[in-house]
Amino acid sequence: MASPVEQFKLKPLLPLEVGGLDLSYTTSALWMTITVIGVTAFLTLSMRGGRLVPGRWQSMAEMSYEFIAGMVRETVGNEGRQYFPLVLTLFLFILFGNLMGMIPYAYTFTSQIIVTFAMAFTIFVGVTILGLVKHGTHFFTLFFPSGTPIALAPVLIPIEVISYFVRPVSLSVRLFANMMAGHTMMKVFGGFVVALGIFGVAPMVLIVALTGFEIMVAVLQAYVFAMLTCMYLNDAINLH
Amino acid sequence: MRANFDSLRSVARRGIVATLAYGLGASLSVSAMAAEPGEAKLPQLDIQTYPSQIFWLIIAFIVLYFLVSKIAVPRISEVLSEREERIADDLDKAETLSKEAEQVRAEYEKALAEARDKAHAATREAQEAAAKSGAELEAESHAKISGMLKDAESRIAAARAEAVGNVRSVARDVAGDAVSKLIGVQVAEAEIDKVIDATMEARS
Repeated sequence: MASPVEQFKLKPLLPLEVGGLDLSYTTSALWMTITVIGVTAFLTLSMRGGRLVPGRWQSMAEMSYEFIAGMVRETVGNEGRQYFPLVLTLFLFILFGNLMGMIPYAYTFTSQIIVTFAMAFTIFVGVTILGLVKHGTHFFTLFFPSGTPIALAPVLIPIEVISYFVRPVSLSVRLFANMMAGHTMMKVFGGFVVALGIFGVAPMVLIVALTGFEIMVAVLQAYVFAMLTCMYLNDAINLH
Repeated sequence: MRANFDSLRSVARRGIVATLAYGLGASLSVSAMAAEPGEAKLPQLDIQTYPSQIFWLIIAFIVLYFLVSKIAVPRISEVLSEREERIADDLDKAETLSKEAEQVRAEYEKALAEARDKAHAATREAQEAAAKSGAELEAESHAKISGMLKDAESRIAAARAEAVGNVRSVARDVAGDAVSKLIGVQVAEAEIDKVIDATMEARS
């Protein structure tokens, strides 16, 4: 029986090597492409009519838009407006990547730590630069909020600094671990279904439940990622 | 919106706890698998795949970002603002219409009140006029009747005086004639008058 983590192996579809680096178009890249097409189709085809009274697809596109717009407005405020397309793209990219990964035989690129880490790290660096540019050295008050007794500084500042620099790790590991764990779990129970023969009905039922749970996790993790991005943006723009 | 947001957050919190517990179980099973001899380690930790994944992630994300920010977002916001405008327009229109209706109603009520007042005034006038003319008529007829009564009374009194006068002259003639016939004496008229007066006085 193949290992349950076998599914995360990448298959190169179009070999490509540039300057000694392997940049092959793999299954992960294929599903990123499908996600890009899927998100674009979802947002544009549904709005093609632009009807005053929206249909089902148009409603969903508008709801995604307003959901993220509301999130940005509430966490970042008015200054967050210009980052709205970025947060919307992030949310939909992760959401569609997670959800499409639930299709049998599909590849879930968000189960790759390097993908989630690249996104989280970029956000972290971008947000830090934004904060430094906007507030200069004043940005470092983020590590020591005003109104805190000075005696707490030796304790508080290291904690704040560590928690700040751990952000890209926690942000990326959260998404990666959730996706990997879910898919591994499904694979393990799928193996039980085959191994147990007729008694495989029991793990089968469990898999049905797990699938529902996984879809919820897929949506939730996309939401959490977008929400945390908004909070980091807020920290950088408004300093708490 | 606030409540909605809070409930979403609590769902998220619960979900995170659940997924953490769930992930722990899964990673235990993963490490159990990994412990088997001959099994490869996690494919995600294979550094060889990183350049390709980062490369395609950057391309995919940038392409998607441009598609979303340049095409999708303007389109959706256009539709949304159009709808908002339309709704605001409709609300405005409804407000003006209701204001107009209110005005019409006020005018109608005013007209109604005026008409009612006029009707009241007309009724009162008619009543007053009727009462006045009734009183006049009554007074007139009263006066007429009393005039007629007076007339009649005076006529009766005249007739009576005449009748009494006639009786006196007849009585004088008869008495004078009777005396001359009986005793052949001419009695002076004055004498007879005296007697008649005395008699009539005694009788009446």
